[in-house]
Amino acid sequence: MPRAPDEPVLDVRRLSVRFALPKPTLFARRSHLRAVRDVSFALQPGRTLGLVGESGSGKTTTAMAAIRLLAAAEGEVLFRGRDLLKLDAEAMRAERRNVQVIFQDPYSSLNPRDRVRTIVREPLDLMRGGESMAAREARVAELVREVGLRHDQLDLFPHQFSGGQRQRIAIARALATNPQVVVCDEPVSALDVAIQAQILNLLRRLQDERGLSYLFISHDLGVVQHICDDVAVMYLGQIVEQADRASLFGQPRHPYTATLLAAAPSLARRKSARTARQHVPRGDPPSPFRLPAGCTFAARCPRAEARCREAAPALRDVGGTRVACHFPLGG
Amino acid sequence: MPDTQAAPEPVLSIRGLEVAFETRNGTVNALDGIDLDLFAGETLGVVGESGCGKSMTALAVMGLVPNPPGRIAGGRILFAGEDIAQASERRMCALRGRDVAMIFQEPMTSLNPVFTVGEQIVEAILLHQDVAPSAARTMAVDLLRTVGLPDAERRVGAYPHELSGGMRQRVMIAIAISCRPKVLIADEPTTALDVTVQAQIFELMERIQAEIGAAIMLITHDMGAIAEMADRVAVMYAGRVVEQGSADAILDRPLHPYTRGLIDCIPVLGKQAGAAQRPPPLSEIPGVVPPLHALPAGCAFAERCPLVHARCRNERPVLTRSGHRVACHAAEREIA
Repeated sequence: MPRAPDEPVLDVRRLSVRFALPKPTLFARRSHLRAVRDVSFALQPGRTLGLVGESGSGKTTTAMAAIRLLAAAEGEVLFRGRDLLKLDAEAMRAERRNVQVIFQDPYSSLNPRDRVRTIVREPLDLMRGGESMAAREARVAELVREVGLRHDQLDLFPHQFSGGQRQRIAIARALATNPQVVVCDEPVSALDVAIQAQILNLLRRLQDERGLSYLFISHDLGVVQHICDDVAVMYLGQIVEQADRASLFGQPRHPYTATLLAAAPSLARRKSARTARQHVPRGDPPSPFRLPAGCTFAARCPRAEARCREAAPALRDVGGTRVACHFPLGG
Repeated sequence: MPDTQAAPEPVLSIRGLEVAFETRNGTVNALDGIDLDLFAGETLGVVGESGCGKSMTALAVMGLVPNPPGRIAGGRILFAGEDIAQASERRMCALRGRDVAMIFQEPMTSLNPVFTVGEQIVEAILLHQDVAPSAARTMAVDLLRTVGLPDAERRVGAYPHELSGGMRQRVMIAIAISCRPKVLIADEPTTALDVTVQAQIFELMERIQAEIGAAIMLITHDMGAIAEMADRVAVMYAGRVVEQGSADAILDRPLHPYTRGLIDCIPVLGKQAGAAQRPPPLSEIPGVVPPLHALPAGCAFAERCPLVHARCRNERPVLTRSGHRVACHAAEREIA
C-alpha cells in the first residue's frame, strides 16, 4: 500500500486502558483503575518515538495496549490505515508479523529450554509463511549474524550467554518476521552501561538499514535523548508533553518535564561545582486510585495556582510542542 | 576535602583486601588486593560494572561475606586503628550498625515485612544504646522526622508495604543513622527508585552527612550519580581497583582506558540538548568482563583495551602511588 511520506506508521488515538479492581464486597460495584487515559500519539516511519515517565506512569501499558498485548477500553490504533483494535483474532495474528516487541529483561523473555536457533526461528514457524525449513534456517543464520552473534552459537541455550548477548537474541527474534514497528520496552535497563552502548548502537544501525520504526519505552532520559527523534512524557496515565527531541530537551514546556530533567543524574554536573540538584521535586506522585480533580501534577508543581487544582489542562500547542499545562514554561 | 598534602587519618582504611570464593571452577578471588581509604565527612564513590566486586567490598567491611563459600583471604580493614577483617563475630555485632552502617539497594527486601518500621528502628537503637524502650520510640519518631518522612508520628506504626519505595528507603536511612555511625555504606541506594525520588534521597544523604559527619561509601554503577555525589572515586574492574582519585580528576581527566570507556559510552543528558540532528553513535567497550575463574595473567582489561601491548598480557599493572592513582601500563607511559 503506497503511503505519503509523513503518514504515521502507527497512529494511536484516544487510547484508554482500565484495570478492574477487586470488589470490596460481593454486591459492591466494581471500580476500575484508569491506567492510561486518553492517550494519542503518532509514530512516523523510520523514526523513534520515546515514551518516558516514572514507574506507574503507564508507558508500558500504553505500548502494550497499542499492539494489543493488553485489552484497551477505548480508542483506536491505526496501522497502515486499519484499526488494530477492531481486527478479528486471525487478522490480528497475521498482522503481528509487522509489529514486534523487545522486552526489558533478557533473562526472563527467552525460553530457557530452547536453543538460540529455535528461539529466533519460532516467529517464522508461527507465521506459516510457507517457507521451507531450509529457508527459515538460512534466515535465522542471517539474523543472528546481523545482530552480532556467531554462527557456532546457534545451538547454545540462553543461560550460556551474557545479558547483552541475550538481548541480541531477543532483537534477532523480533526482526525475524521483518516487522515495520518494533516496541522496545526498556531494552537496555537491565544491562551494564558498556553493554548498553553496544545494544543502543545496534538498534540504531538496524533501524537505518531496515527503515524500522521504534516505539521506545524508557525511564532513562539520557538514553531517550540519544536514541529518540520524538518524545512523549507521561505522568499518571496521560501524556503531559510531546515534542521532537530538540524541543523537548532544549526547551521543556511542562514543569514535570523540567523537573525530570533537573532530577536525572548527569555526567555534565559536578559535585565540586555545586551544580547538582537545584530543584528537587517534592513528594511522591499521587495514588492512581484517587486521582486529583485538576492537574495530576499540581501537588508537586512549583508553578501551581488555584486553577491547576480545579481544572485539568488539555494538551495544546505551545511553540510547536504539545503540552498539558495551564502555565507552560517559556510560553 | 581530604588531599595528599593535608594527610588526615582515614576513618576506614582497606589494605590488600582479598576475598576468595570456593566454586566448581576452583578458588576464585572476588576481591584481589583492594586498597581504599575513606575520610571523615567525604563521599567516596565506588563504581564499576556488575561483578567487579563493589558490593563484595561493602560486605567485607560489614563482616558479611557469605561464609562458606566465601572468606576474607588476606589484607586488612582498619577501622579506628583496629583490624576488623580479623575481628570476632561478637565484636562485629557490636560495631555493625553502630559505627559502620549500611543502606541496601532494595528497601522492600531489606526491611522485615512483619514488623512496623518503628519497631525496626527501635530494635536498632536498643541493640546498641543504653536507653529505655519508651525513649527509643521517641527517638524513632525523631529519626523519621529527620529523614523527612511526612506524618512521622503516624507512620512510625506503618508496615513496610504501606510505604512507597522512596519512603522505605528513608526508613532504611533512619535505621542506618540511628547510632550516628562514622562510616555509612550505601550500596546502590537509589537504583530501584525513580529519578525524582533518587534526587530526594541524594539530597537527604548529603544533609545527614553534614549533620553527623559520617564518611559515605557510595557504591553505584551510575557515573551520573558519581558526578553528583562523590568527592573521590574508585573505579573497580574484575575485583581490583584500577583507578582512584578526586571525582573531578576521574571524570574530566580519566587515565585508565576502562574509565575512559565507561564515561564515553554513556549518553550524556544535556549534551547538545537542543541539537536537531541525531547524535553520533556511542563509543563502545568491546566484549565483556572476563569470568573471575579465567582471569588472564596480566591486566584483566587487556582483551577489551584499545591501548593494549605485549607487556599488558604478561605483567599485572599495579596502582601508582600519587594522588590520582591508576593501574595501567599505557597510562603510566602517558604520565611519564
